[in-house]
Amino acid sequence: MSRDTNAPIVVIGANVDALVAAHRLSMQGRSVVVVDQGFATDAEAGTTLAPAIVDALRLREHGLVTTAPDPWASVPLAEGGRLDLYRDMNRTVASIARLSPRDAKQWPVFCARVHAAAQILAQVYAAPPPDPMTNDRAALWRMARLALDVRRRGRQAVVDLLRFTPMPVADLLDDWFETPALKAALAASGVRDLAYGPRAGGTGFVMLHHHVGCAPGVFREVCSNAADVLRARPGIDLRTGARVAAIEVHAGRVAAVRLHDGETLPAAAVLSGLDVHTTLSRLVDTKWLDPELLRAVRHVRGRGVVARLSIGLDRAPGFAHLVGAGSMDDLQRSADDAKFGRVASHPWFEATHVESSGEHRLDVHVQHVPHTLRGAQWSGELAKMVEDAVRSRLEVAALGIGASIRAVAFASPVDLAERFGWHDGQSNDAELTLDQALWMRPVPTLAQYAAPIAGLYLCGPGMHPGRGGWAGWHAAGAVLTNPG
Amino acid sequence: MSTRYDAIIIGGGHNGLVAAAYLARAGRKVVVLERRERIGGAAWSEQVFPGYTFSVFSYVVSLLRPEIIQELELPRHGLQVLPLESTITPLPNGDYLGQWNDHDQNRREIARHSVRDAEAYDEFGRMLHLMARAVKPLLAMMPPDPVSWDPRELLGMAKLARHFRDLGPAQFHTLHKLLTMSSADFLDEWFEGDALKGTKSASGIIGTLHGPRSPGTAYVLLHHYMGELDGVFRAWGFARGGNGAVSAAIASAAQAFGAEIRTNAPVAQVLVRNGAAHGVVLDNGDEIAGRIVVSGADPRRTFLQLVDRRALPGDFVETIERFRFRGTSAKVNLALDALPDFTCLPGPGPHHRGAFSISPSVDYLERAYDQAKYGAFSSAPYMDIILPSALDPGMAPPGKHVMSIFAQYAPYHLEGGWTDARREAFGDTVIDTLAQYAPNMRNIVRHRQVVVPPDIERMVGISEGNIFHGELTLQQMFFLRPTPQWARYRTPIAGLWQCGSGTHPGGGVMGAPGYNAAHAMLRERAL
Repeated sequence: MSRDTNAPIVVIGANVDALVAAHRLSMQGRSVVVVDQGFATDAEAGTTLAPAIVDALRLREHGLVTTAPDPWASVPLAEGGRLDLYRDMNRTVASIARLSPRDAKQWPVFCARVHAAAQILAQVYAAPPPDPMTNDRAALWRMARLALDVRRRGRQAVVDLLRFTPMPVADLLDDWFETPALKAALAASGVRDLAYGPRAGGTGFVMLHHHVGCAPGVFREVCSNAADVLRARPGIDLRTGARVAAIEVHAGRVAAVRLHDGETLPAAAVLSGLDVHTTLSRLVDTKWLDPELLRAVRHVRGRGVVARLSIGLDRAPGFAHLVGAGSMDDLQRSADDAKFGRVASHPWFEATHVESSGEHRLDVHVQHVPHTLRGAQWSGELAKMVEDAVRSRLEVAALGIGASIRAVAFASPVDLAERFGWHDGQSNDAELTLDQALWMRPVPTLAQYAAPIAGLYLCGPGMHPGRGGWAGWHAAGAVLTNPG
Repeated sequence: MSTRYDAIIIGGGHNGLVAAAYLARAGRKVVVLERRERIGGAAWSEQVFPGYTFSVFSYVVSLLRPEIIQELELPRHGLQVLPLESTITPLPNGDYLGQWNDHDQNRREIARHSVRDAEAYDEFGRMLHLMARAVKPLLAMMPPDPVSWDPRELLGMAKLARHFRDLGPAQFHTLHKLLTMSSADFLDEWFEGDALKGTKSASGIIGTLHGPRSPGTAYVLLHHYMGELDGVFRAWGFARGGNGAVSAAIASAAQAFGAEIRTNAPVAQVLVRNGAAHGVVLDNGDEIAGRIVVSGADPRRTFLQLVDRRALPGDFVETIERFRFRGTSAKVNLALDALPDFTCLPGPGPHHRGAFSISPSVDYLERAYDQAKYGAFSSAPYMDIILPSALDPGMAPPGKHVMSIFAQYAPYHLEGGWTDARREAFGDTVIDTLAQYAPNMRNIVRHRQVVVPPDIERMVGISEGNIFHGELTLQQMFFLRPTPQWARYRTPIAGLWQCGSGTHPGGGVMGAPGYNAAHAMLRERAL
C-alpha cells in the first residue's frame, strides 16, 4: 500500500493537548481529523494554557474565559477559623500576619524567589525538551542559547532552581515558614496527583511545576473553559462517537487509523493524545517496536491516587477553594496509607466552589486514594468510607455545610480512569517526577514526540512538559519540522 | 606563639588526617589539632569492655579511595583489610536470602528465590559497575560553579557536559534515573523478590531520614556501590583491629611525612583578621598561627561555631543553617559469649564471616521509616550486622565474640528527646528484633554499648550525629555541598578551607574530601 500523501493528519483524543496540536497543524494548512475518544474533559478545567498558546490560537476571540477563585486557598485552622490566601499580596500578608508575623514577613520574599525559579521552568517548557545527548548542531545551539538565557536570570534564581527541584517540599517550606496551615496549602501543590507525601524528594519540583503560569504568590491554577473552546474552535474535523481500535502501520510507517466501527481513516501522520502505554502497547502492533522500548514504556510510572466527589449544594459554601489538610503531616499520613496500597483513612482533599446558572457545587479532588489497591478491589463500601471522611472534615471546616448538601457523586480512581481515559487513573500519564521529566519524559527515546515508527507522534500529558497545551504544541512542531 | 605552621588542620578524623598526610608529603609544615585524647573521629576502635574491641562507629572499609591506600602506603602503616564474603538476609518464614562473593553460588541462591531475579542479577551488577565507573571521575573533580561567568568555571562546566556526553545515551539516562529515583522504584524495574529488593534498597537509606520509596535514595545506593578493594568494585571489608586501624594507618603515614598530631587540643575559634584566617585559638587560650586553617569539622560546626559568623556573608550563613543533618543511624556494639545461632542457618558456618542484613522487604524498611519521620525510633529497625571477631579473633577473648550492629532509624530529633532509658529501650528493640531470627541472642549478650545520634554528636562532634556530615541528598551534593559557590573546599574567609565529609563527594570512610581538599590547596598555591 502506497502512502496517501493527501490523507489528513489524524489526532487521537480530544483532550487539551491533542486539540492544541490539532489546531496548530490546521493553522499551518494541514487537514486534521480529531477522533474524539468519548472521554470527558471537564477534569482539565484546572489547566492553565500558556499565554503564548492562547494568543497563537486566538482562543480569547473564540470565547476563552478563566475564573480565578479568590482566596485561591482557604485552610481550616486547628484552633478554629481559616487561613485565607488571596491573589492580592498585601491581603495575604495581613492574613498570614494574624498567625505569624515572621511568616508574613517571609511571604513576599519567598513568593519572589519561587516565582523567579518557576520562570526558568516556564522558559524550558516553552520549547521541546533539551536533549543533552544530541549531536544535532542546531539542537546543541538551541541548548547553549537556553543555558545562556537561564543564566542571565541571575545567580539566585538558578541556584534556587537547582536546590528546590530535588528537595522534599516539606524541607523547602520548613526553611521558610512556621505556620502549619500555610505550609499545608503550599505542600499540597507539591504532592498533587502523586503517590508521595511532602517528605519525598522531588516534590519541590512539583510545587514549582504547578506554579508555572501563576502570578507571584498564587499556587493554584486558574479554571478555564479551554477544553470546550478548543473543541468548538473551527479548523478541525472533530469526529465524535468514534473510538480508535488500532493504528495501522505499513512498511514501518503509519498508514491509517482503524475505528471500532470498522471504518478506516487513511492518515499522513497520527498524533496520539492518549497515554503512552495505550498508544504503543495496545493501538500499535508491538512487532513494530523494539522490545527494549516496550520494556521502558512498561516501567513508566503513573500511579493513580485520586478520587473525585461532586457535591451539590443548595447555597454557596462560604469559601472559594478549601484545602482539606491542616498541616504537612496530614498530607504525609494520607500518603503513608497509599504507599501500602490502602485507601488513606484520612485522605486530604481540595474542594473548589463552582457556581453555574445559580446552582452551587463543590468539585472535590481527594487524594491519596490508590487506583490499584493491594489485595482489594474498589467497592461501594470503600467509596462510602472516602465520602464520609471528606464530609466529616468538610463539616468541621465549614460548619453547617452538611445541611446544605443535596447530592453527592463519587468517582473512584477506576471510574476516573474510565471516564477520562487516564491510564491507571493518573491524569499526567507519566507521574511528574524528576526521573520522568525533560529528556526523560516519558522515556528518553520518545521525548522528542516522535515514536520510532515514521509518522507516529505522541502529544498527550505524558510528554514534556505535561498536561496544559505545550506538549500538544511541541508535538505539532515535531510533525511540522520532520521531513515527509 | 612560637612556630608558625603552613596549615592547621582542625579535627583528627580520617579526612583531616588524609589532608594532613598529603600536605606534609608535599613538604608543608602541618599540625592536626584533635579535640579529644585520641585521633580517628568516627573511625575509631576501642576496648569498650575488657578484652572486647569495637569499631565504635563506622565499621566497614570499602569506600576508601584506592589512590589513598596506594600513595600513602597504608598497608605498610598497618592497614589490613579482610573481605566480607557474604550478606545473609534472614526472613521471617525461617528461610534466608544469601548473597555471596562467589558468582555461581550467588546465582544458585538468588535463583532459589526467583529465576527471573537470578537472570537480572548479573546485568544489574554490570549496570551498577558502569554507573560507578561513570561517577568515579566526579568524586575527584572540583565541582564547577554552575552560575559563574568566569571562563575557568565555564570550562569546568563544559568538561562536565563532555563527561556526561561521553557516557552515551544509555548510560547517561540510567545515571539520570539513579540520581532522581527512589531506590525501591529503581529496583522494581529489575527485580521481583521482596528480600532482594529490601536488602538492596537498604543501601539507599543509610544515613538519611528518607524511606526507600523516597526519590533521591537511588543515588545513595550507588554511593555505596562505589566501594573498591584491590580494584574490585563493590567489595566490602573489615579492617584488622577495627576501623580505628584505618585512622591509625593514615596518621602513621602523615607523621612519617612530618605532620604533627596533637590530641587534647580543642579549637575554640578560628582567628580571622581583615577577612583572612591566620590561626586558631584553643580552649585553653593558646594561640597557634598558620598560613591557612583547614577544618575537617562539619559545615555547621565550622561556620556557625568555630568562626565568628559576622565574618561571613548573610546568605552564606542562611544556606549553612539550612544544611540538613538529621542523624538517623545508631550503633549497637555487643560482647557475646557465643556466636549467634540463626534459625535459617543453624550452627557455625562461613556465613558468620559475612554480614547479616535485617531487611526482609521494602515494606519493612518503609514501616521503620514511617515511625521515624514522626519522631519515634523504629520498633522493627533495619540492621546491618557483622561479627568482627569471626574475621579477626583478636577483637575478643578466646571463644568469645563481638558483634557490630548498624541500626536505623533512631532519629536525632526523637519526640520528647533521648534519655538513658530511651537509649536502652532502643538497644532492647534491636536485640529483640534480632532474636526473632537468632533466638540465642537473648542469652549470649555479656555487655552492650548503644550509640544513638546524640551520642555521636557528643562523642565525635558531628552535628546531629549524621554519619555523612550532612544528608547525602541531591540538593546537598556536588556543587551544592555544602553551599553553591563554596563547594570547592574554599570558604568565604580567605585562608580557611574545609576538608570534611560535608564537602564533595561526601561521607563514608572514603577520604576523598580530604584528598581533594589537599590537592586543591597545593594546586592553587594556598600555602
